[in-house]
Amino acid sequence: MDVLIFIVSGTLAAATALLFAAMGELVAEKSGMLNLGIEGMMATGAAMGFVALSVSGSHSVGFLAAAVLGAVLSLIYAMLTLVFRANQVASGLAIGILGLGLSSAIGKNYEGKTVTGLEELDLGPLSDIPLLGPMFFQQDVMVYLSIVLIFATWYLLNRTKLGLIIRAIGESPESAHALGLKVRLIRAGCVAFGGAMAGIGGAYMSTAYTPLWAEGMIAGRGWIVVALTVFGTWIVKRVAFGAYLFGSISLLELSIQAFGVNVPSQLMSAMPYIVTIVMLAVISRNPVFIRLNSPASLGATLKLN
Amino acid sequence: MLPKSLKTTLTAVAAVTVLAVPATAQDKLKIGFLFPSPIADVGWSAELNHGRQAIEEHFGDQVETIFVENVPEGPDAARIMNQMAAQGAGMIMLGSFGYMNDGLKLAQQRPDMTFIHASGYKLAPNLGNFQSRNYESSYLVGMAAADVTETDTVGIVAAYAIPEVVGMINGFALGVQEVNPDVTIKVVWLNSWFDPPKAQESARALMAQQADVIYSLYQDTPSVVSVAEEEGVWVINTSSDMKDYAPNWLLASQIADWSTYFIESTQATIDGTFEGTAFWGGMADDTVDVKSWSSSISAETMAKIEAAAAAIRAGEFHPLTGPILDQEGTERLADGEVIEDGAMASIDWLVSGVETRIPQ
Amino acid sequence: MARFVIEARPERSVWAPIQVSLLAILLTCIGGSFLFMAYGVAPLKGLEAVFIDPLRSTYGIGEVLLKMAPLLLIAQGLAIGFRAQVWNIGAEGQLIVGAIGASLLAIQFDGTTSPLLLPGMIIAGMVGGMAWAGVAAFLRAQFNANEILVTFMLTSVALQLLYYLVSGPMRDPMGFNFPQSISFGPSATFPILIPGTRVNASLFLGLGVTVLALIFVQRSLAGYKLSVGGVAPGAAMYAGFSSKRAIWLALLISGGAAGLAGVGEVAGPLGMLQRNVSPGYGYAGIIVAVLGGLHPIGILFASALMALVYVGGDFALLTVGVPNAVTGIFQGMLLTFYLACSFLLTQRIRRITPETVPKGAPAE
Repeated sequence: MDVLIFIVSGTLAAATALLFAAMGELVAEKSGMLNLGIEGMMATGAAMGFVALSVSGSHSVGFLAAAVLGAVLSLIYAMLTLVFRANQVASGLAIGILGLGLSSAIGKNYEGKTVTGLEELDLGPLSDIPLLGPMFFQQDVMVYLSIVLIFATWYLLNRTKLGLIIRAIGESPESAHALGLKVRLIRAGCVAFGGAMAGIGGAYMSTAYTPLWAEGMIAGRGWIVVALTVFGTWIVKRVAFGAYLFGSISLLELSIQAFGVNVPSQLMSAMPYIVTIVMLAVISRNPVFIRLNSPASLGATLKLN
Repeated sequence: MLPKSLKTTLTAVAAVTVLAVPATAQDKLKIGFLFPSPIADVGWSAELNHGRQAIEEHFGDQVETIFVENVPEGPDAARIMNQMAAQGAGMIMLGSFGYMNDGLKLAQQRPDMTFIHASGYKLAPNLGNFQSRNYESSYLVGMAAADVTETDTVGIVAAYAIPEVVGMINGFALGVQEVNPDVTIKVVWLNSWFDPPKAQESARALMAQQADVIYSLYQDTPSVVSVAEEEGVWVINTSSDMKDYAPNWLLASQIADWSTYFIESTQATIDGTFEGTAFWGGMADDTVDVKSWSSSISAETMAKIEAAAAAIRAGEFHPLTGPILDQEGTERLADGEVIEDGAMASIDWLVSGVETRIPQ
Repeated sequence: MARFVIEARPERSVWAPIQVSLLAILLTCIGGSFLFMAYGVAPLKGLEAVFIDPLRSTYGIGEVLLKMAPLLLIAQGLAIGFRAQVWNIGAEGQLIVGAIGASLLAIQFDGTTSPLLLPGMIIAGMVGGMAWAGVAAFLRAQFNANEILVTFMLTSVALQLLYYLVSGPMRDPMGFNFPQSISFGPSATFPILIPGTRVNASLFLGLGVTVLALIFVQRSLAGYKLSVGGVAPGAAMYAGFSSKRAIWLALLISGGAAGLAGVGEVAGPLGMLQRNVSPGYGYAGIIVAVLGGLHPIGILFASALMALVYVGGDFALLTVGVPNAVTGIFQGMLLTFYLACSFLLTQRIRRITPETVPKGAPAE
């Protein structure tokens, strides 16, 4: 029973960083911007959040600083791709490399240090419910905020005018431009949102999930985020499901190991990517589905004047 | 602002050019250090760095040390060591297994230099390696773990099944069994040298399966230690003392102190008497020790631990003394038989009683 | 009343790419100076350590050439695809599979003195890289799956495959369970070109591919004029080929080249298969391709520059004592500035006075 609680409650926490970054990346991708610098932005957010928390003593300041720096980095990416019309793939990778270097520089004097993690949110009697309490109601505030973010992202993209505009721009920035929409501004906004969320996701890793800073601690989680949006076929609820699924994989693996059974851990680690590739192949075969969900201009260089 | 700094730059460049010749002419031994991870307050690189500081303290003006941290174990390591050699280093400390082949190549090219290498198995006349008999202290902390566990389950978070780690798990398990043969010993292999979040998840996974003592085996960061403190579970740490990170729940810290060996190797290099041998530092020479014993360990067990420690220090007792069966039930050491260093250096089996197998 | 407009350059100057590169390097040096100052290092001394010091010794030059070989190979291969708008961003994974392929032979035939081993490894590595990229080509051609995403995901899969192999089936049985293969013998490694350095014959692979790429581009150019903006439309590059064939061709070429780079690593400086096969050459290769303006000659220079930044960064660790974060920030800046500056390759900013009426709408 404890194992079940560990996997369920652990998955909620493990998925939180992925959810923040993935919802941000989803909004950016919906507007047609493929930001491959997520890993670097999460790392920078992790370092910045940790340092800001250490200096200020406030978790909120940590998350805020991480969000701001993530947004700043992503705006450089936006500037390269939108103003200077540089290729999205190369720009994203460039900012990613820059971000990884920056994270190492920011966190230099804090290497291996720890902070107090985020407190569990006091949910009163809810957390005392047997089984369900420890599974769902003994988490920190960011876990619940990440769930709120899922609904907010869904609402934004599917129920608001702005969401419609974002999707229209992602579909065809040229026609959106012709309709008088501020393509560059809105795309930049989406990318900044994505960067801020990646920053928060990174800061969650270093100030809540594993409250310490060590260079390289993001360890590929930013790449998983990019995989997630594809795995979720750019549909909010599927991306969220993917985050929980991917978040649970390593917990499952470790639990099985603790039972004394060896598992091919590399296969488990590769699984998210393999299923994503399969998923992509399956959905891409269906032109109608792709047209409805995949932002058609994703990754394409903006050709406006 | 800028012109001023530009000016200082030019002066600095000029100064360097002038000074370059006399500086190399001096008879000062330059020692280079390669650390595999960033130097933090605690962890593997931190302990090696303490060794470097001990050299500086001991030799003062006779030596000069240079170091590069976070050197990946790939083709780039060779460049760093070659660069150190080019800058006149007379001795190099290679802080990780993965530097072995490049270090050996350089050692063969530069017989005038000496090299000491952590935990490798290749030697040259001017390349020695050093490893610790951590299994000795593992045995002691294992005894303590068996004493405090209430669930009779202890968990180990380990990186890779290399001989040093396997040897430590065996030492630990034998110590546990010495005090309480009924304790279940679980291992989680991370299959990664470095992933603090995953190390922490592993510790939680073990706790979820009733482990109330976690043995954090070569986790460089305090990830496991701090989660144990948070959850109120006993934790044992390796490499550095992490009492500060778990003031309430640290059961003990196994530490490795390289100062003596580093100082001796430096002296030998200065004297020209360096020999490329395998150094096994243990409790007898204070390379290995246990610090920060928790006061919650029963007096009875603590006395047993102290007796065992004294016997190990005196060379009267080896934790891996037969009869020892492996996980398959095969007898690996006959009654009274003591494992040889060579067998220890390549150990690839776990003692019976450890629940998890070695991967593959 | 004067105002500024951005418009397409009517024609592309031969010198423009060089001017743009120099501008990017200049901006990087300025940015780098601030970076060095932040670490209390005199800027000129820092820049000297990165850009000049490596070139002062044979060993340093050798290191730059050593680093250059894989970057050159990968970038030349990728550029061919990029010009056709086929975005293979998984060269890292193709390099890894290439390294695995070559290592399989080296391990299988350990101890042989046959001169055929190394050529065999080269072919195995190339085939490995092609096969890995071929998966993406197949999924794109048959299922229309976006190759950017597939190649990207496949890199992570390749990495796990490598981890599995080096800690299991391909691990050195005498290697004390350390996750690495046996050391390859002399017949399974490239001969050293310059004594005292690590530059090996794999550099010729890179130069050879450069020549092939040049011929390829020249031939394609012969038939098809570059468009006004200087960018060839994807289809024209492979006119006569169906788009499916273009995808297959682009991915197989780039995958094969990346696989070769993998051979160069395991049969070169590494001399074995291990977890760290590549310090991100696959991604750096993308940067080099873009930095080189997707032109074979440009890539030749860009790979040398990138290699210099890598090696110089390592030199700076010791000579001026900056942390290794500096290399990453330097590379990031170089590419960022280049991407920003390369805008000037196709566009120009022009001041418009009331007298000069803009002649119609700008192209594009």
